[in-house]
Amino acid sequence: MFLTRSEYDRGVSTFSPEGRLFQVEYSLEAIKLGSTAIGICTSEGVILAVEKRVNSSLLESSSIEKIVEIDSHIGCAMSGLTADARSMIDHARVASLNHDLYYDENISVETLTQSVCDLALRFGEGVDGEERLMSRPFGVALLIAGIDENGPQLYHAEPSGTFYKYDAKAIGSGSEGAQAELNNEYHKSLTLKDAELLVLKILKQVMEEKLDSNNAQLASVTKEHGFQIYDDKKTTEIVEVLKAQEAEQEDEEITA
Amino acid sequence: MSNTIASEYGHTDTSVPIEHRFNPYSDNGGTILGIAGEDFAVLAGDTRHTSGYSINSRFQPKIMDLGDDLVMSANGFSADGDALIRSFQQQLTWYHFNNQNKKLRPSSAARLIQHLLYGHRFFPYYVHTIIAGLDEEGKGAIYSFDPVGSYEREQCRAGGAAASLIMPFLDNQVNFKNQYDPATGQARLKTYLKLDEVLNLVRDAFTSATERHIEVGDCLQIKIITKEGVREEFYPLKRD
Amino acid sequence: MEHDPFKWGRPDNATYGDYDYRISNAKNTEFPSMHTQQPIVTGTSVIAIKYKNGIVMAADNLGSYGSLARFSNIERLIPVGKDTVVGISGDISDLQYIERALDELEVENDYDGASHPFKANHIHEYLNKLLYQRRSKLNPLWNAVVVAGINSDNEPFLAHNDLLGVQFSSPTLATGFGAHLAIPLLRKVADKEEDVAHVTKEQAREAILQSMKVLFYRDARSSNRFSLVTIDKDTGISFEKDLKVENMSWKYAETIKGYGNLQKF
Repeated sequence: MFLTRSEYDRGVSTFSPEGRLFQVEYSLEAIKLGSTAIGICTSEGVILAVEKRVNSSLLESSSIEKIVEIDSHIGCAMSGLTADARSMIDHARVASLNHDLYYDENISVETLTQSVCDLALRFGEGVDGEERLMSRPFGVALLIAGIDENGPQLYHAEPSGTFYKYDAKAIGSGSEGAQAELNNEYHKSLTLKDAELLVLKILKQVMEEKLDSNNAQLASVTKEHGFQIYDDKKTTEIVEVLKAQEAEQEDEEITA
Repeated sequence: MSNTIASEYGHTDTSVPIEHRFNPYSDNGGTILGIAGEDFAVLAGDTRHTSGYSINSRFQPKIMDLGDDLVMSANGFSADGDALIRSFQQQLTWYHFNNQNKKLRPSSAARLIQHLLYGHRFFPYYVHTIIAGLDEEGKGAIYSFDPVGSYEREQCRAGGAAASLIMPFLDNQVNFKNQYDPATGQARLKTYLKLDEVLNLVRDAFTSATERHIEVGDCLQIKIITKEGVREEFYPLKRD
Repeated sequence: MEHDPFKWGRPDNATYGDYDYRISNAKNTEFPSMHTQQPIVTGTSVIAIKYKNGIVMAADNLGSYGSLARFSNIERLIPVGKDTVVGISGDISDLQYIERALDELEVENDYDGASHPFKANHIHEYLNKLLYQRRSKLNPLWNAVVVAGINSDNEPFLAHNDLLGVQFSSPTLATGFGAHLAIPLLRKVADKEEDVAHVTKEQAREAILQSMKVLFYRDARSSNRFSLVTIDKDTGISFEKDLKVENMSWKYAETIKGYGNLQKF
């Protein structure tokens, strides 16, 4: 894609003769450098998982915040330039709160996702003379998980302002391998427990370090409890179950 | 002598200048009434439109079908009532655009109307607003509002010119206020009324209000919301 | 000796009260911003009735300045588009403003030639929004307006609109004094919407002429010269200008009892 690179990659709002917006395309590259984030949507709820890159043994891993709450029924995981996500999250929280204020109900996951994506193109001036908010496109993608009257849902929001609904989606550096694995493993009758294990199993495969509660974080959105970030204890438990399961599988393979 | 003589130079005699100010409000009479049942709701109103002692129109219906199985009426100053309903309809269109054509629930409509009314807190819409619909459980829902947006879900509510005539009747006949079982002396237990009972109450309420209030009469419009949708009935009222 | 030259030559305070200093302290700006607080030159009633196939509407040609019959040739029935006439009572300068607004609207709408033609209901909606917006700015257009014509469903349309933005429809409409004097006469012909189907053009016209006569008898701000318009859904608008109230009787009302001539009992 860089063969046609030219002066057209300077201005954020200038199309190249082939009809491309290079800065927007480059922003998608920024996400591929980010840590892996995975989301799986089941009939019982949505699971989000992220890899935390703990670069130093002196780094307090709890300070790496890549899964955040938007409202009691919606949360999101991010990958890329996570600092850029701050303003998106801010906007999403305001949108959700405002919806509750004006309609006395939870905002739907799609409406919320749309409102975040409205922000994504604000590096140019709006048609209604809205001011230009940013000098460049966002360098972050979000996996937005939530639950509303249509049940649990998972959306992927890109810096280009487009969004799609997924059963399961991986973003970030390990996304290619992870997405292939999701395509193999996903089925409609997955339970929340299955999804917790599956998401960690895949994360483990694409991570360089050894998976533990320090460098992975899980969250879920369910009808009963809404959005919840799993604490270290719960994450460790799932990691243990995963380990036991894998050990069992290895045994089976040996005996076979 | 301390008396001063009025002159064009003097201001002592008329310290308060005579002001003639345009009054942006008027009262167009009429009355409305909403009653919720177990699986239905009705919203009714007369169709007389007045200014002072004049009958402007004998047939100016004011109960509006908003779509989404919601009906609304804003009774009082009819220009404000029309404007409020119109702005609600526009907001509803936007709600559908932004929320995948989701059906607006009565509770959400109520909150939205509160914002429309309170947005005019310092130049209020001079209306008593009532909406009717079915809630998430399919139960009848009536919400009523004051002119600046205070609202409440109720079993029944009368609004407008003859509200004070009808409301006590409703308290007694819908919520069984002041009704006691003669055998036990206990207050009569609350039960849901059936649709035909409610329609009879509505018609009685309006024929009585027509007798006693000059701004009420001509024709009765009733909108009925059930799980089948919204339907409408008209009955004649006295035209004197 | 009064040493202040400002006070020289002024009426005696002891006799006439203190000078109101607000007069001399008033700001010498060009003009204070003013909103209409009352109508100045006014037109009286507009009356209209529906018949089977259309509407008959009339208004006299007088522009009154208070009790002075100031202008005798004011046309208050304004055609808009092909089948709508707007009858306006109240302030004449505001009438002319509305006339210009409607003209502008029509020009804008017809500009590309391929536009959707305005129907009576569209004109009415536009005027309602205009009047309500102005009242909401506390700067009203001091008029009552009757819109008569054919609506987008090709049916007769008749609606009333006033300075507050209050709007309503009825088979018979009248503004001002007409609401008290003409409406009872017109409702004898068409009271309910269902009655309209049985009213002929001639009956409607006769009722309007009769009402214009009664109005000229009893409304001191009316004149005997008026315009009448018939809007028929088949034949369109037909204007009759320079009409006069005819067959008036100023005979002594000898058969009428109870007005000082004969006692009722």
